[in-house]
Amino acid sequence: MISYRPTDGDPHTKPIQYRPKTCFLMTQIGGPDDETLAIRRSLTKILSKSGIELIDAGSVVTGKDFLLKIWNLLLAVPLGVAIINEKMRPDAMCNIFYELGVLQAYGKETLVIKTEGAKIPSDFVRTEYVKYDKDFKGAMGKFLEHFLAQADYYENVAGLLEQNPLLSIDYLRRAYLISGKDALRTKVRNILANAELSGRARDSVEMLLADF
Amino acid sequence: MAAKKDVVQVKNPKSGHYVKIDRSAGKIIAHKTSAGPYKDVPIARQSK
Repeated sequence: MISYRPTDGDPHTKPIQYRPKTCFLMTQIGGPDDETLAIRRSLTKILSKSGIELIDAGSVVTGKDFLLKIWNLLLAVPLGVAIINEKMRPDAMCNIFYELGVLQAYGKETLVIKTEGAKIPSDFVRTEYVKYDKDFKGAMGKFLEHFLAQADYYENVAGLLEQNPLLSIDYLRRAYLISGKDALRTKVRNILANAELSGRARDSVEMLLADF
Repeated sequence: MAAKKDVVQVKNPKSGHYVKIDRSAGKIIAHKTSAGPYKDVPIARQSK
C-alpha cells in the first residue's frame, strides 16, 4: 500500500506504528458539550468490554505537525468513530468528516454516532451510524459484533487470494488490526517467504505493507 | 485448453452480500448486489 503524506504529497516510506484493537475518536476538541462527554464515556465503557482502547488526537504527543500526527493515527487504527451533534462548530464538523474520509480511503471501519438533531452530509449517507438514544448500547453491541466478525472475513479472503501475495498480506494486515492475533503476522511472514519478496529493500512497498 | 478456474464465493459481513473470488488468478471478480449467494458457485469454508 502506498500512502501519500497530506503535507507534501510524497509517499510515506516509514513503517506505520500499527495500533491493533484501538478506536480513533473524532469529535470536537475543546469545549465539548455535556451530551458529547456522556457519549464518549459510554463509548469508552462499551469498547473496553470488547478489549478495544479508545484513543484520540490527544493520546499521542509528537511535537511535530498536528495534521501528520492525526494522519499517522488514522493509518494506525482499525476503526474510527465520530461523535457529531447539532451544537458543534462547523470547522470541527469539517475536520471530523475529512478524517472519516481518510479512514474510509485506507480501508478502515467507520461509525458515526449522532444525536437526534445532527445531520450527516450526503456523501456519508452510506456510512454506518447509530443514534445516541435509549437503544444506544444495543446498537453499539450489534455494530461491534459485525466489526469483530470482519476480521474473520478478511482472514478468510486472504487465504483465498494466496495467488496475489500483496493483496493477501493487505487483508491479513486489516484482520490483524481488528483482532490483534499474532498468528496473522506469522501467516504474513510465510507469504513473504513463499513469494520470494523477503530480499526487497526495507522501505519497498512490499516490505512496508508486511511490516506489522 | 484453458486452465480450469477455481472460483468460490464468500459473504462479506459488512455488506451482507457475497463476493466471488477466482483463487487461481488471486482476484476478486464480482460483488453481488442482491440477497443470497451466486448460483452454482461453491461457498468457501472459513480458513483457520
